Amino acid sequence: MKRSHHAEKSTGKGDPQCFTGEAGPAKFKVGERVRIKNLPDIFYTRCQVYTRGAEGTVAVVTHESPAPEDEAWDNTDKPEWFYIVRFKQKDLWGDYPDAYPNDSVQTEFSERWLEKA
Amino acid sequence: MAEKHKAAPMVDEVSDFEILEAAVRELAIEKGLFTADDHRRFTEFAHSIGPLPAARLVAKAWLNPEFKKLALKDGVKASLEVGIDWLNPTGFGTPSDYTDLRVLEDTPKVKHVVVCTLCSCYPRPILGHSPEWYRTPNYRRRLVRWPRQVLAEFGLQLPADVEIRVEDSNQKCRFMVLPMRPAGTDGWSEEQLASIVTRDCMIGVALPHPDRKQDDKRPIHPAVHPIQHDHGHDHDHGH
Amino acid sequence: MATTTTTVTEERAMADTNAKNAGAGASRQAPDASPITLLEKIRSRGRAWEDLAVQYGVTNPDPPWKVSMFSTCEALAVHDCLETLDRRASEDDLSETLYRDIPQPERQLMALAHTMIRRGLVDEEELERRMRQVHERLTSA
Repeated sequence: MKRSHHAEKSTGKGDPQCFTGEAGPAKFKVGERVRIKNLPDIFYTRCQVYTRGAEGTVAVVTHESPAPEDEAWDNTDKPEWFYIVRFKQKDLWGDYPDAYPNDSVQTEFSERWLEKA
Repeated sequence: MAEKHKAAPMVDEVSDFEILEAAVRELAIEKGLFTADDHRRFTEFAHSIGPLPAARLVAKAWLNPEFKKLALKDGVKASLEVGIDWLNPTGFGTPSDYTDLRVLEDTPKVKHVVVCTLCSCYPRPILGHSPEWYRTPNYRRRLVRWPRQVLAEFGLQLPADVEIRVEDSNQKCRFMVLPMRPAGTDGWSEEQLASIVTRDCMIGVALPHPDRKQDDKRPIHPAVHPIQHDHGHDHDHGH
Repeated sequence: MATTTTTVTEERAMADTNAKNAGAGASRQAPDASPITLLEKIRSRGRAWEDLAVQYGVTNPDPPWKVSMFSTCEALAVHDCLETLDRRASEDDLSETLYRDIPQPERQLMALAHTMIRRGLVDEEELERRMRQVHERLTSA
C-alpha cells in the first residue's frame, strides 16, 4: 500500500512513538502553572479557542510529536513536547456554578502554546 | 416446502443509498485513490473491533493491582494483554488511529468523562466504533461547558464534592475511563466483571452496575446552535 | 436525552460555548453547502435503513453498506486524499445544514459524496453514470 512519508515512519513503531527523542528537553514539569498563549490560528490548529488565555496546571507530560499546525503541512522536522493541562471549570467559564468548585477540564497542548503563568 | 421454511428476514430492496455507497467506492478504486485490497483490509479491521477488549482491561485492572499499575502507566502495553496491538491494529500499520492510550482512573472523588470537541477522536482499536451521539456537536459542545447537565441526561448524577473531570481528547492521546468497581460484585470472575463494563462506562457517561450489561439507546439531537456560528467566529480570527 | 427545555441562561451559555469553542480545527474553509443535483435526487428517492428495516422486519441497526463506507473514509485518509478531520468538519457542517433531515448513517454517506464531489475527487456526472450501472447490476436477476 502506498503510504505517506509520515505513515511509513510510524509503521511498527506507532505515532507519536516514532518521534521519541527528537524534541530535546521538556520545558515544563508536572504541577507547574501555565498559561495558554493566544497565538493566531493560521489555517490549522487543534488548540481550542475556549482555552486561549486561560491558566491551568500541567497534569501529564505526554509525548513528543510535531505540532498539528506543522504536521498538517507534512512538516515533521521539529517535534515538540506535549502536555495535558488541567483547568478549573471556573477558570474557563466565569459563570460555571459555584456549587461545583472542583470540576475540571483537561486537554492537551504542544509546547509552543504554553507559557509560565 | 421452500415457502414453509421461514428464512431470517432480510431487506429485499436495493436502496439508492446502497447504490451510492457502491458507486463512490468503485470510482475511488478505479481512479486509484486507494486499492480494493486497502478497502478490504479496513473492512476486516472494522469488523474486528468492539468494546470487549477495553472491558476486559478494566476487569483485569479491578482484579490485579499489578496490571492496574501497568494500565495506568502504559495503556498501549497493557492493551497487549487483552489482545490489542495498537502499533499494528489492522495488520498493516495504523489507520487514522494514534497510539498513545491513556487510562483515566476514577476514584471516589474524581469522575472522568471523555469527549473530543474538535471532531470525534476515540480509542477505536480497543473500544470499537464511537456511538453516534459521541459524534454529535450537541455532546461535543455541551460536555465541556455543562458536564453535569449532560451527564444528568445520561442518567448520571454525582454529588457536588466529586470532581467531574472532562478530558477533551484533541491531540494524539486516546482516552478510556477505568471506572470504580461497583458493590455487589464480590467474588466475580474476570468474565463476569467484563460483562458489566459497557462502552458508556468507559467513555465515562455511565457507571457499571451489577445488573446492567447493555448501554441504553440514545436519541440524537441536533445542536441548538448550528455550526455556522463557528465559521462566523473563525472568520473573525482569520481562518 | 429527553426533550431538552432550554433556559435563557443556558442559551446564552451555549452561544458562548459556540463562540469560544468547537470548530477551532481543520483547514476550515466552509464547505460549499449548496445542493448537488444528483444528491438531491437521491434524497427524494432514497429509502433510509430505518424505514427499510421496519418494513422488512430486520433488527440489524445498521445497513450492510455502513462498514464499507467506513472503509472508504479510512482508505481516503490513509492515502492523503481526504484527511479525517477535514472530512469530519465538512460532515458536521453539512449535517446541520443541507442534510440535517436525513437519518444516520445515510447522512454521513451523503456528506461524504458531497465533499468528494466538491473537492473534485469524483465528478457528479460520472458518479451518476456509475450509479446507473451499479443499479442494473444489483437488480438484474
